[in-house]
Parts: sequence; C-alpha cells; structure tokens
Amino acid sequence: MKRILPIANAIIAVASGLLVLLGYFFPGIFGGIQSILIGWAIVIAAFALLFGIFNLAMVHWKKINTEGQNNIYSIVLLISLIITIVVGIFSGPTGTWSLWLFNTFQVPVEVSLLAVLAVVLAYAGVRLLGRRPKWYTILFLATVLLVLLGSVPLFLIGEIAPLSALRSWLSQVPAVAGARGLLLGVALGTVATGIRILIGTDRPYGG
Amino acid sequence: MDQVLSSQANFLAFLFVILCLGLIFFFMYFGRHWLKISLRDIQAFRRFQREVDLSVEGGKRLHVSLGRGSVNDMPGGASFSGLTILDRCARAASNSDQPPMATCGDGVITILSQDTLQSTYRSLATEQRYDPTTVRLTGLTPMAYAAGAIPTIHDENVTTNIYAGHFGTEIALLTEAGERSRSLTVAGTDDISAQAVLYATSDEPLLGEELYAAGAYLGTGPSHVASLNMQDIVRWLLVAVIILGAILKLLGILP
Repeated sequence: MKRILPIANAIIAVASGLLVLLGYFFPGIFGGIQSILIGWAIVIAAFALLFGIFNLAMVHWKKINTEGQNNIYSIVLLISLIITIVVGIFSGPTGTWSLWLFNTFQVPVEVSLLAVLAVVLAYAGVRLLGRRPKWYTILFLATVLLVLLGSVPLFLIGEIAPLSALRSWLSQVPAVAGARGLLLGVALGTVATGIRILIGTDRPYGG
Repeated sequence: MDQVLSSQANFLAFLFVILCLGLIFFFMYFGRHWLKISLRDIQAFRRFQREVDLSVEGGKRLHVSLGRGSVNDMPGGASFSGLTILDRCARAASNSDQPPMATCGDGVITILSQDTLQSTYRSLATEQRYDPTTVRLTGLTPMAYAAGAIPTIHDENVTTNIYAGHFGTEIALLTEAGERSRSLTVAGTDDISAQAVLYATSDEPLLGEELYAAGAYLGTGPSHVASLNMQDIVRWLLVAVIILGAILKLLGILP
C-alpha cells in the first residue's frame, strides 16, 4: 500500500494536469473535462483554506499551552478568529456586522502597514548604498529619485515638464524593456516547472 | 477569422510546449552523457548552502517563506520552486535539533508544504520528526501574510530566511524583519515590482528566472539541470525571433 499510493497519486496528478493543459490548446475536444477538473480544483482549494485556518488556530493554541498567558497575541488571535467566524455565520459574508468588522479592524491595520512599508522602502534605499556600493546601485537610486520627482508636483515649484517627460520615457522604454526580459525568464521558468510536474519528475503531492 | 487565428495561436503554443518537453527529455537522457554542462556561479545559492550548513551546526533554524501564490494560477510556478527549496532545507537540516519552518499565504500551498516536509522525513526514515505546526498559514491578504510571518522570523531562533514564491512589495516588511533579527535573507519571486524591492532590501536577491534554477543548483535531480538547459536554448530562440520581428517591422514587411 505504501508503494501503491504514491504511484496512484502521480498517475492521477499527471493525467489531470495533461487534460487541463490540453484543454487550453484544444478547447473543442478537452474543454469540457478541463472545466470539470478546474471546478473540482476550486472546491478543493476552498477546503484547503479551511484546513489552513484550522492549522493557524492549532499553532496559536499550542503556543498558548506552552507559553501560557505571556503569549497575548495568540490569545487575541484566537478570540478574534472565533468572533469573526460567529459574525460571519450569522451576518453572512457581506452582512452589516461582517463589513463593520472588516472596515473597522482589517482595513485600518493594513493601511497602516502600507504606510510602514513606504518608510521601510525609503530606508532600504539609503541602506543599499552601504550594502552594495557599486555604480549600478547609484544608477538604481538615481533612477528611483528621478521617477519620484517626475511623478509628483514639487513644493512651491509645481510640475517640472522635462522631469515629467524623462520619467515617462524611463518608465515606458528602459523599464518596460527590462521588465519584459525578466518576465520572459519567469515565463520560461514557469513552463519548465510545469513540465517537470507533468512528466512526474517533480512530485509536490506526496508522490 | 478570429477563431482561425485563435486556433493557430493555440497550435503554436502546443508546439512550443512540445519543443520544451523534447529539449528537457533530450538533456535528461542524452545531453548529460554527450555535453559537459556547467552552471554559472550564482552567489545567492553558494551563500545559501553555506548558511544552511552553519545553521545546522549552530543548532539554529531555517525559515522558508513560500508566499501567496496559488497553484491554480501563474504564480504557482514560483511556489513549486519554493517547495523544492523547502525539501532541500529539510534534508540538510535532518540532523539538526531544529527542523525548518515554513510560512505560507495560501491554503493549498500550506497543505503541499506539509506534504513536502512529511515526504522528505519519510524518505529519510525520520517521520517522527514531522510536526504539522512547523508549516503555518500566516495570512491571506498581502499585509496580513507579512504581519503573520514576522513573529516567526523574530521568535523562532531563525538564522536564515529563504523567501521563494509569489510576493508583492510587502516582502520589504519581511526582509526588514530579517535584517533586524540579524539573519541572512535569500529571496526570489516572480513578481517584477517585488524583484525591484528585493534588489534594495535583500542580502542575496534572486532576479528573473534565477529562482526557478534553485533545483539545479541545490542538486535536486537531472530534470532540473535539463530544464535549465532548455530555458537557455529557448530564451535564445525567442531573442532571435524578437529581433527578427523588429527588423521585419522596421523594413515594413510585417504589418
């Protein structure tokens, strides 16, 4: 059984992957079975999400048991989780109370983290000169500065037309060219990863 | 007319996949005997291997963050590369008291990470070491994910953080946490804006397709080296086609 199960897993995974892939190339022949398989995948993904939330609760329950009352964040998390689930069940996902919870707690916290992110990025830009003092680091930072200055009207001066034109050129020509080069590499890497899974040499599913 | 063009595009895409598949098989079964394949030096992988060894010797922990990529979508490729790295970390740390930890931002990747760790321990005959709570779903939105993963970096005796998967600019919060806890950060992602952030914030960023080369550099198997060779050849082919297309357009031959 211990040997059969991984082989069966691999056969099911490879066959499903091949049918979904063929569905993209030959929608007339494989489109129907592709839709069914993708539908199943969505249902399984939703169940995986529930499992993930259960895992999160388990991790923090274990923390409370091992670290006791000191782990206040785990206690807050578990209480919040229970309240959110109860409110979600009775009020519905788009109900007044659910939206109130989301808009009152989730949105402000995430927005404040975004603000922190802006500061972190500015600080990282300055620290980069110490970390990698190379000519391309200076070019990177100079470009960032130029794009920033060209994107917003400056205090008391307003918009500087040549800077805006330069920013526009930078973001439309060299940046797009570089990004396309990187994306080409990412796409090829994704294709290679997908093929390795389809031929069964990579088995991230317990095969 | 649109349907005909769409059919042609589908057929071309099918041929492209067949070409990639053929090249991978060629390099897997024939190329390694006939060709001398050498991998270029990527400092991030060299340092990663050294830090993994140091972590194991020092009784410290590795943290692998797999991002928010869903396997149902394009970012799934980056997440699968992350799973390969997680497997290598678990193998390398099999003698350590501290098993590696993984944080994820997607339910399916959480299950796959647990399965990867369990399979790895099973293959090493150390299944009793597997603890499902070493893999954590930390959040489902970008900021929630980052906020949930930061305590792992600070509190779990981590010396090396490996970020491999789909991330957005929120990865700066994670790399900053790594910097504050004086742990090494090796990071790669498929997202272009996050790659720019990583260049500025990470100790060892993996740019472009370097993340997908992880398996080949960490000695996962011949198929990884073969797929790297395939990528190199197809990349040159695509570059040639793009340049040819630009010349034909310049000459007015292409509409």
